[in-house]
Amino acid sequence: MKRLSSGLLLVIFCVSCTVVKEYNKIAINDLDMQLSAFPCERFETNFQIYREAAAGANGGKTGGGCGCN
Amino acid sequence: MVEKLEGAVGVIRFFLFLLLCVYSFTGWAQIDSLNQFKKKVLDAVEVDVLMSYYEQEGTHAAVTGGLGNEYLTDYSPSIVIRMPIKEDAVLTADVGLSAYTSASSSNGNPFNRTGASSGGEDNGNYPRGAQGGSPPQGSPWVASTGASRKDVLTTINIGYQKASEDRNRYWGVNLGGSVEYDYESFSSGVSFAQLWNEKNTELSLKGQVYLDRWKPIIPTELHEYEMFQETFLYNQQSYFRGVSIMDDQGNSVASYRPDLFESYTSVARNSFAFSIGLSQVLTPKLQGAIFADIIRQEGLLSNPLQRVYFEDRNDFYIGNFRTLGNYDSPDNTDLFHLADDVERLPSSRLKVPIGMRLNYYLNEYVVLRSYLRYYQDDWGVRSNTLQIELPIRFNLAWKLVPTYRYYDQTAATYFAPYNRHSSRNDFYTSDYDLAQFDSHQWGFSVSYRAIFRRINLFDFELKTAQLRAQKYNRSDGLSAFVVSIAFQFVLDQ
Repeated sequence: MKRLSSGLLLVIFCVSCTVVKEYNKIAINDLDMQLSAFPCERFETNFQIYREAAAGANGGKTGGGCGCN
Repeated sequence: MVEKLEGAVGVIRFFLFLLLCVYSFTGWAQIDSLNQFKKKVLDAVEVDVLMSYYEQEGTHAAVTGGLGNEYLTDYSPSIVIRMPIKEDAVLTADVGLSAYTSASSSNGNPFNRTGASSGGEDNGNYPRGAQGGSPPQGSPWVASTGASRKDVLTTINIGYQKASEDRNRYWGVNLGGSVEYDYESFSSGVSFAQLWNEKNTELSLKGQVYLDRWKPIIPTELHEYEMFQETFLYNQQSYFRGVSIMDDQGNSVASYRPDLFESYTSVARNSFAFSIGLSQVLTPKLQGAIFADIIRQEGLLSNPLQRVYFEDRNDFYIGNFRTLGNYDSPDNTDLFHLADDVERLPSSRLKVPIGMRLNYYLNEYVVLRSYLRYYQDDWGVRSNTLQIELPIRFNLAWKLVPTYRYYDQTAATYFAPYNRHSSRNDFYTSDYDLAQFDSHQWGFSVSYRAIFRRINLFDFELKTAQLRAQKYNRSDGLSAFVVSIAFQFVLDQ
């Protein structure tokens, strides 16, 4: 997992000088390419925060609520 | 001559003044013209209407010490309104409800369905004095009728985000809160995002604070012990006056003393979260992002309703002793093990999750979305998450998205199963949400985009509709099902 993370970091930084022009971003601007969860996923994120010990790094809640149900 | 000269100077001044006025108006007009062509951050008011139904089943209820019925249902409607404020800003209001019924929570007082307390009252409202009628019976496998069997969580969040003229910087603030019967939460946060490299790279920063407060509900037997101490088995006002308590041999005894239980002196729980994200367009069809959070929690991090049983303390029961052999089976409907204490957890926790997304546009029909997360905290929990989504577009209007998510975690240092804790430890919990397990979640969503026909509701036009269904199986036996729908409307201008 750590090697994979480091690898991806390296790839991103290595190509960060790459500039994709706006007129070439038809695919990048597709709604499914957004780097965030779909709106409906918020409910799943909520129950995962309750039923699992891990949370965060996904745009969901990082606190608040007792999780007691 | 001098007078003519002064007159000419006056005329020149007048024309210069006029020229200045015309220039000024022209300048403003040019700026207005530019403004007209500047793309708004949000074109029109958008309204998201979302609803979900969640249902779970399991056999490790934390309220009854890691053993018992975990059946739970939850309806969650919510509405999100986004309003453009001039060209550069957006105001967002997010209001939601979460109405749940829980067999586990209901067993804060497991005796409510029988005896004198069957009226449905919970802690603080126990009928006092003799029980009358049949002796109280309870079971970790049967939902009680107490008030804690259901509750409604209400949440509201207001956010404001402003963009710079060139749309390369975004600032945001938010305020929010939630309230339920035994818990209140207030939150606020700030965010900042900077884009550069022709909007191919984005760095985002976010700080969020949650200031929460418990209104602790504790298990019946501990509540009565807290109130009456040594006299709680015979005090006229005690719920347990005259009730037969048995030891593990079935003998009626008066020696049950949950004296490890201590009243709560602090009920605050505060969380401080700092998030950083870096996203990058890698190729015209590939982009990724890395997110990292540092979350610090302080205060009452345990749940006051969750029982714990110690293997080095004597066991005491109320109900039908002949059921003892089936205590850990759903066949047990009339025997309840009285708690030794509630869970105790450290007053601080540091969580560090690191996640990443990588999305690849295969072609006009298929996109591959992936998410990976590694998590670690100072309670001994380490976890991995992998999620894959594959949006498949049939045409411009319809889309199917199969999804799969894998998750695993190690157990928290303080976890042990039912009746396996030692009373010599400072911290203990039998909440299986902190146990070692892995889980698999799979499902699909179907999306519709209204581009071929107009569908209006009052002044709003339907933009998209989505139905999503997911099944969740945890290796400890917990299973869940969630179905949600989302409609996005746009104000018809």
